[in-house]
Amino acid sequence: MLEIRELKKRYGNFQALDGLNLEIGERELFGFVGPNGAGKTTTLKILSGLLAPDGGTVRIDGLDVLDDSRRLKQRIGYVPDFFGVYDNLKVSEYMEFFASCYGIVGLSARRRSQALLEQVRLEDKADFFVDGLSRGMKQRLCLARALIHDPDLLILDEPASGLDPRTRAEFTALLRELREQGKTLIVSSHILSELTELCTSIGIIEQGRLVLQGSMEQIFERVNASNPLLISVFSNPEKALTILKSHPCVQTIAVRGDEIKLGFNGDRQDEAQLLQQLIDAGVMVSGFMREKGSLETLFMQITGQEEEKAVIRHEMESGI
Amino acid sequence: MKWNPVFRRELTVSSRSIRMAAVIFVFNSVLAVVALFNMYSMMEQVRATAEIQYSRFLDLYTFVSAVEFIMLMFIMPALTASCISGERERQTLELMLTTTMEPRQMVLGKLASSLTMMLVLAVSALPVLSLVFVYGGITVMDVALLFVCYGVVAVFTGGIGMFCSSFIRRSTIATVSTYAFLVLLVAGTYAVSLFAYRMDLNELNSYALALNASVREAGSGGFLYLLLLNPAVTFYGIINGQAGSGSIRSGLSQIFGAVPENWITDHWVFVSLALQLLCAAVFIAASIWLVTPIHRGRMRRFQEAVREPACRPAKAQ
Repeated sequence: MLEIRELKKRYGNFQALDGLNLEIGERELFGFVGPNGAGKTTTLKILSGLLAPDGGTVRIDGLDVLDDSRRLKQRIGYVPDFFGVYDNLKVSEYMEFFASCYGIVGLSARRRSQALLEQVRLEDKADFFVDGLSRGMKQRLCLARALIHDPDLLILDEPASGLDPRTRAEFTALLRELREQGKTLIVSSHILSELTELCTSIGIIEQGRLVLQGSMEQIFERVNASNPLLISVFSNPEKALTILKSHPCVQTIAVRGDEIKLGFNGDRQDEAQLLQQLIDAGVMVSGFMREKGSLETLFMQITGQEEEKAVIRHEMESGI
Repeated sequence: MKWNPVFRRELTVSSRSIRMAAVIFVFNSVLAVVALFNMYSMMEQVRATAEIQYSRFLDLYTFVSAVEFIMLMFIMPALTASCISGERERQTLELMLTTTMEPRQMVLGKLASSLTMMLVLAVSALPVLSLVFVYGGITVMDVALLFVCYGVVAVFTGGIGMFCSSFIRRSTIATVSTYAFLVLLVAGTYAVSLFAYRMDLNELNSYALALNASVREAGSGGFLYLLLLNPAVTFYGIINGQAGSGSIRSGLSQIFGAVPENWITDHWVFVSLALQLLCAAVFIAASIWLVTPIHRGRMRRFQEAVREPACRPAKAQ
């Protein structure tokens, strides 16, 4: 569906995108994560045809965003991180105005507008002025606006920011519904717990480069692999410690009561082998699990590492 | 027929707002007051002198059309100077740019809605202007030419407003810049021509004194043609032809000295209207270019060529 190769964008002396590579498949709900200034909005603006890249290519279903921008605009819906509403314009008029911007006019525009307002549960607000809507309603209206021309790809920049938990949950449900309808969604967000539940795949961007990308399963495998292993020993802890100390995957050991916390650098097979080894040695194991990790932990680890690397690079360059 | 979406939306919003009704009310009130005062002054003069000067009836036309011209020239920039910058401030420009609508449609839709407002104002003022037909001296063709002048001035000042609005991000600064541009155009071209005339006059006077002989008549020279861009001079040319001495050359020569006899000065009004329309087209084209987010073809290659040295990494020492 979407293929980004070596995307570059510079604002003055600031390199916003530095060779970004990204691939997103059809019907995916892709979470685009990164700290402030990492290049998320720049990437999304390039995808939407609002910015020209300095280098690299962006293809959506084989169409280049620069060469086929008009055809692509017909297939992309964009929800920015602001509302963009008009005073003195009613909800239905707002929808019909944007429909006419895509060449949809008259009865078809009215029908499409009504259907979308029903989908975002704003049908009873059709005759209200847009300016008088609540923040959550405006956000749902923006989503309906972006869907007016029935796009295949929906780009949402921080869609849930500033919404209360209830409205956020409603909005998340809407996004899931859209994915079930066959749309591909790219969602940039800072609310990582929300992306964890929502997305099918995720990409972490840092200093204009993609540092991690994969399906949620792959990402969580990685999250878990970096988390400590918790072993609860019912009897024979000395024997267990002897085995653990000699195991090549064990990096650190911390004992608290009958619970042992291991820094364990191994995959699921290594974990299974270790458990087997303990049982074979007569150690009674009452608990054996990886500490549950979150996307936040991984995000902090990755972006933290990058910061450390940047500091080291800076120190090396400046000769400190 | 498919309407321009921006034009349609602007009409919906402006017809709903009280602003349009207020502008029409104030505009016509000012014109009516000017017309009534003018008629009152004529009647007073008749009472005082027991003479009827029919030429004074034409003053009604001159005054009303001049006031209308000044108001139109000041209202149009106010309408257009915040068109694009206002969309930027409301953050709706980006939303429109992500649609399949062309930037050309956005700019022309905005301009068309402002011109429609001007048309409504001009048409609503027709009853006041038609008071002149009671006394005669002015034909329907004269009024039609006046309306052409209003139209061109509206497009010209609107083009300047659109350009400032596209170029400057803040509406307030864009509005101030548009008015500054207009003042420069009206007072600036006048001042430059007058200054050139005075300089030429001083030079000729000292030369004539030295030689003790009369030489050619002083004038503004080439600077006079700057006045072709001055909408006020164009309006003066039209009114002077309809209710004044009849020739713009004689009118200009009273202020700027010698006016050369050539095709341009013979067809001053036509040339200035054409030139102002051309300038308006340039301003509108520039606005469209400024609103377009991504430039294709030659301009993009130029942008890339400009950016390339800045993007190229520094060579390792």
